[in-house]
Amino acid sequence: MITEEELESLVGTLFPGGTYTPEPYVNWLTSDCVLAPELINAGVAHPLMIYMATQAGLGLSLEELFALFKGSSEDGPMLGEWGMEVYSAVQVGTSYTVSGAITGVLRKTGKKTGVFDIIQFELQLRATSDADNLVAVTRSSFIFPRRG
Amino acid sequence: MDVQVGTELPARVVQQVDIGEMKTMAALLRDPNPIHWDPESTRALGMGDRTVNQGPINMAYVMNMLLAWVGNEPTRLRAITLRFMANVFDGDRVLAGGRVTAVREVNGERLADCEVWLDVTGGMRALAGSATVALP
Repeated sequence: MITEEELESLVGTLFPGGTYTPEPYVNWLTSDCVLAPELINAGVAHPLMIYMATQAGLGLSLEELFALFKGSSEDGPMLGEWGMEVYSAVQVGTSYTVSGAITGVLRKTGKKTGVFDIIQFELQLRATSDADNLVAVTRSSFIFPRRG
Repeated sequence: MDVQVGTELPARVVQQVDIGEMKTMAALLRDPNPIHWDPESTRALGMGDRTVNQGPINMAYVMNMLLAWVGNEPTRLRAITLRFMANVFDGDRVLAGGRVTAVREVNGERLADCEVWLDVTGGMRALAGSATVALP
C-alpha cells in the first residue's frame, strides 16, 4: 500500500496536460446517452463535455491516473465529488488546452470500508487559441479503497 | 421567470437507467472499469448482478434537469458541485430535483443558486450538491 508520506509527496504534482476538441459526433453521443437529445443541437457542447474534456486532456489515461496513486481500476476507485465553474461556452469543434495539478490528499479509515485515500485535483480549461482566458475550472476528488 | 428562495425546480425522471448507455459512455470516456458494462464484474465484487451507472452520467441527469428549467441553453449552467453518495444501477428509476436557495444579481444578470440532488426511487440519494444557473 502506498504510504501516507508517498501520498503527501504527490500534492502539487502537475499533470502532463494536453488538448481536446469536442467533436460533433462525441457531443451527439454524449447528449444522447445521457438522455438529453434536446441539447444535441443547442449550438454549444453539453456541459458534461467539460468533464470529458478535462479528463481526456489531462495527459493521462484513467489507468495511468490511478497508477500515479499506486492503484488501478481493479481496486474500484470512485469519484467522491466533482464540480465546475464555467466562465464561457464550450464550443463543439474548438480546441481546448487542459492543465492542472493534484491539490490534496487525505487518508481515512472507515469502520466498514477500511483504509481509503481521497485524492483531490483541479483542472483548468482554456481555448487553445486564447490561453489568457479561463473557460472552466473543475475540481474533483477520487476515492481509492486500499484493500490489504 | 418568477423565481424566489424555495422555488422547486421541475423534477426530471429517468424511468429506467440502461446498460446500453453505460457502454456508450465507457467507450466515450475510455473507462476500463468493467463494473459499468460487465455484470460478471459487479457479481465478482459482491455488488449484485447489475452494472453501475457512471458517475458522469448521473451528473448529467442533474445538469439536464437544471438546463430544462432555464430553456435548454447550456451556457446558463455556471457552476455545479456534486457529491457521490450511492450507486445507480442498470434498471433503476432516478429523479433529478432541485430547490432555489438564493437569487442574486451579478453584473446585471440574475443568478439562481440551487440545492440539487439525484434520488434512486425506492433507494438512496445518489448525488447531492449545489448549482448556479443564469435565469432567462
